[in-house]
Amino acid sequence: MSDVPVLQVDGLVKHFQLSRGIILRRQVGLVRAVEDVSFEIARGETLALVGESGCGKSTTGRLVLRLMDPTAGSVRFKGEEIANLGKDALRRLRRHMQIIFQDPYASLNPRMTVGEILAEPLRVHDIGDPASREARVRELLEIVGLSPEHARRYPHQFSGGQRQRIGIARALAVNPDLIICDEPVSALDVSIQAQVVNLLQNLQQRFGLSYLFIAHDLAVVKHISDRVAVMYLGKLVEIADKKTIYAKPLHPYTQALLAAIPKPDPSLRTKRVMLQGDVPSPFNPPTGCRFHTRCLHPQPRCSAEEPKLREAAPGHRVACHFFETLPVPVIIARAGMANGKFAERLAAFEAAKQAQTPA
Amino acid sequence: MSVEALEPALIAEHPTGAFARAGLLQRLARDRVAAAAAITLTAIVLAALLAPWIAPYDPYFTDLTKVMQPPGAEHWFGTDNTGRDILSRVIFGTRNTLMLGLVGVIVGGLIGGILGILAAYYRRLDGWIMRLVDVMLAFPAILIGLAVAAIFGAGLAAVVIALVIATIPDVARVARGAAVGVMGQEFMEAGRAVGVTDGALIWRYLTLNCISTIFVFLTLRFGQIILIGSALGFLGMGAQPPTAELGMMAAQGRDFLFMAPHIATVPSCAIFVIVLAANLLGDAFRDVLDPRLQT
Repeated sequence: MSDVPVLQVDGLVKHFQLSRGIILRRQVGLVRAVEDVSFEIARGETLALVGESGCGKSTTGRLVLRLMDPTAGSVRFKGEEIANLGKDALRRLRRHMQIIFQDPYASLNPRMTVGEILAEPLRVHDIGDPASREARVRELLEIVGLSPEHARRYPHQFSGGQRQRIGIARALAVNPDLIICDEPVSALDVSIQAQVVNLLQNLQQRFGLSYLFIAHDLAVVKHISDRVAVMYLGKLVEIADKKTIYAKPLHPYTQALLAAIPKPDPSLRTKRVMLQGDVPSPFNPPTGCRFHTRCLHPQPRCSAEEPKLREAAPGHRVACHFFETLPVPVIIARAGMANGKFAERLAAFEAAKQAQTPA
Repeated sequence: MSVEALEPALIAEHPTGAFARAGLLQRLARDRVAAAAAITLTAIVLAALLAPWIAPYDPYFTDLTKVMQPPGAEHWFGTDNTGRDILSRVIFGTRNTLMLGLVGVIVGGLIGGILGILAAYYRRLDGWIMRLVDVMLAFPAILIGLAVAAIFGAGLAAVVIALVIATIPDVARVARGAAVGVMGQEFMEAGRAVGVTDGALIWRYLTLNCISTIFVFLTLRFGQIILIGSALGFLGMGAQPPTAELGMMAAQGRDFLFMAPHIATVPSCAIFVIVLAANLLGDAFRDVLDPRLQT
């Protein structure tokens, strides 16, 4: 079984219907939030899903968990199709897939104590008796670096970073195989981000977890992921292992994303690959390649024909008609990533990791 | 920048959840206004319950030799236009009035609250439930009372039905508003992701998080309900004379406001005290019940 990927997503589509009227509902539009997304995650692997706000990354995460129903496509968990599971089967599946949310202030029920929150997944899935659940809650709190006495407190008595650890502990409670991390650190301070990211990595090694790590922060992604998938307007534009993406991005959008990382170095006066304008509305996406309206190298074919994901190298797929012939962007080739704040933060993550491993 | 991962962090000392829950009454007692309101309301409820034993006179005994006597040693609150003891009538009237207000608020609040929360949880029902509520809102409570009285005959039962119907739409709107806000929070999704059943989600996640809003609204509504009930009594659709009911007594005393002001003012003051005490207690309950407001 071990060679079957934990998660296989194939041709996932989510359209939101916009409708008006209460009794006589009529459809007035269609938002194409996720369009034909395919990827897979191996056991113990972290796949990062990056992109601008509104590009459909969170929706993809929720579709994978079936918190939303996909319009089309297949999601297979350990080889088993889950896109059309019934209610009860779905509830049983929740034991094996969990999610960590972005906002630690909104993701914990303020009416329940931390102990109740952490015992909830165990109770729902009928695991153990009250005494063993309590023991498990204490264990979970220790795993995420809180103390067992905290079980009797309410979420509002904790700081943001502590709450996020509670959220992580809740996801771990049922020993899942896959955790969807929906921007788990973007609401936290940078120093706390490092703690939480390292905690996630630590847990991954300890429990062999697989992560679908949704983020827009490329420093965090570089630190935690094995592979990176880049989304634009509901579609995957590039997917490759981390090294390749950061060293040799082929899609113009990926190049622009990487170029947008601030490099506070006044001697660097090269031209930057800057994207103009906003993401077009998924309500009415551009024809052909969805990126052609903002691309630096548009050609007539781009607005006419939609590019398919093509293999550029083994494991490196790009959705661009012309990636073979595009000029290599100067900024990345020359200055690299090791600059400024980005580097500082990466260093902070590494330092934190060093600090806890030597023993 | 030094980062210490996984180190148990310090947490500000707060009373813990278990303590906060066990100490609810102590915490309520620490708020002096709330304590006074609670004592007043308890006294009023006790007086209403024990009316036959503590009322000094028969509330229905008319003594035409002692009509419209001002408050004095013999009749503490004086007598009305037919010589009945007003103190005794107020004690018995409180019984009916409290019953009207409580039944209206509890039954109406339950039905309205359930409707509002279901509308927020099941989006498919939302349009249907809220349009129904809009239809109910279109009829003033007095009109509903008149219609109910016309169908079933005037009396306390008609008033209770009218008050329940009048309470439902407002509570449903408030409950739905609060619940829609809670539905948008990530912990609802977190609950679903964990696998919590619909029933538990609705009760422990949704209802418990909007119940303080509904509760406070109902305490405010309690006063209005009593006034509407009294107005129906005044229109002859509610409690029928000689039944003692505070609103109706106030309405009847209105005719003698210049000759014997105490006939109308005593029951009015009774209503005032009941409503005020209920409102203050409701506020205090909201503060105590909501863990987020704990300091």
